[in-house]
Amino acid sequence: MIRVYVLNVPEFAGLIESAHRMDHCRVAEGDAGYTVIESDSEIIFDRKEMKMKPAVWYGIFTGGLEGEIADFGRDQVRVIGTNRAL
Amino acid sequence: MSDIKNDVHRREDSSSAKTYSEAMGIDADALGDSEIAKNDGIQLRLQGVDHTARPTWKLNETIEFYRDVLRLPLIHTISARGWGPPGHHDFLHFFFDSGKGSTIAFFYYIGSDQPEKYAPEQHHFYAATHTAWSVDTEEELQLWKETLEGRGIKISPYTRHEILESIYFYDPNGYPLEVTRRLRDLHKLDSTDAELTLQAATMLEREAAEKGERVTSIDDIWRRKAKLVQETLERRKG
Repeated sequence: MIRVYVLNVPEFAGLIESAHRMDHCRVAEGDAGYTVIESDSEIIFDRKEMKMKPAVWYGIFTGGLEGEIADFGRDQVRVIGTNRAL
Repeated sequence: MSDIKNDVHRREDSSSAKTYSEAMGIDADALGDSEIAKNDGIQLRLQGVDHTARPTWKLNETIEFYRDVLRLPLIHTISARGWGPPGHHDFLHFFFDSGKGSTIAFFYYIGSDQPEKYAPEQHHFYAATHTAWSVDTEEELQLWKETLEGRGIKISPYTRHEILESIYFYDPNGYPLEVTRRLRDLHKLDSTDAELTLQAATMLEREAAEKGERVTSIDDIWRRKAKLVQETLERRKG
């Protein structure tokens, strides 16, 4: 299981919009200020699709990430599941 | 040779202090007690920045840059014999207005040479100490960039951080400067999230220190943050 916690502020909204477009992602927009993106398989976020500048891109998981970053490139990040305890 | 030169304007003073801290009446080992702060019932308040100050060994260039190129008004200069801490040089301490009552200030220690360890470095550790001035609008930020470029300063491209958009440049001393604007207002959510991020980081730092290890990746902090946010969300639900 992968869980990406996204703070509900404009600069990270692209993550939520992107997850909505991915069939394998479940998006729970909570009322405590965080949206939770869940997936049972890997998630790939695309910087250009989300129209993110690098200074935001390299901090996109600041809301919290349950999962493992397999690749973190300039334009794409791939997150996979992990059994490691949080 | 440089030691002799450094000593020319270094004065004995009337203080019996042996160290800088003793002369100033401060102590870097006495850093306070958060428990007392939590319980003493006093909320101290600040009203913004009065000044930040750095040393300069380029008097003419610094004055020309801040007063004549950036056109920040020079509003005050102290000129004094060295006093207080032992070995203090005679000095000039001058202040340029940077808006809303704030100033940027410099010390020029007369007759001294710049020690090697104060030389500017091309490194993010060094650049972390910088001054960031605010402007209110995108148009003003653009005006700063284009005007300063027109006056011959090399200005960075615009950088949009999470809540700030900034431009960067250097002063003649090699000190990094920034002009920035807020992209949005900050809310309670931002501060609670900030607390959780730093809580995750400090927890991990403590745990690693106990094992004689170090935290080496932001990924680990993001993982712990996930746990803390999850717990917060569950508490809300419960």
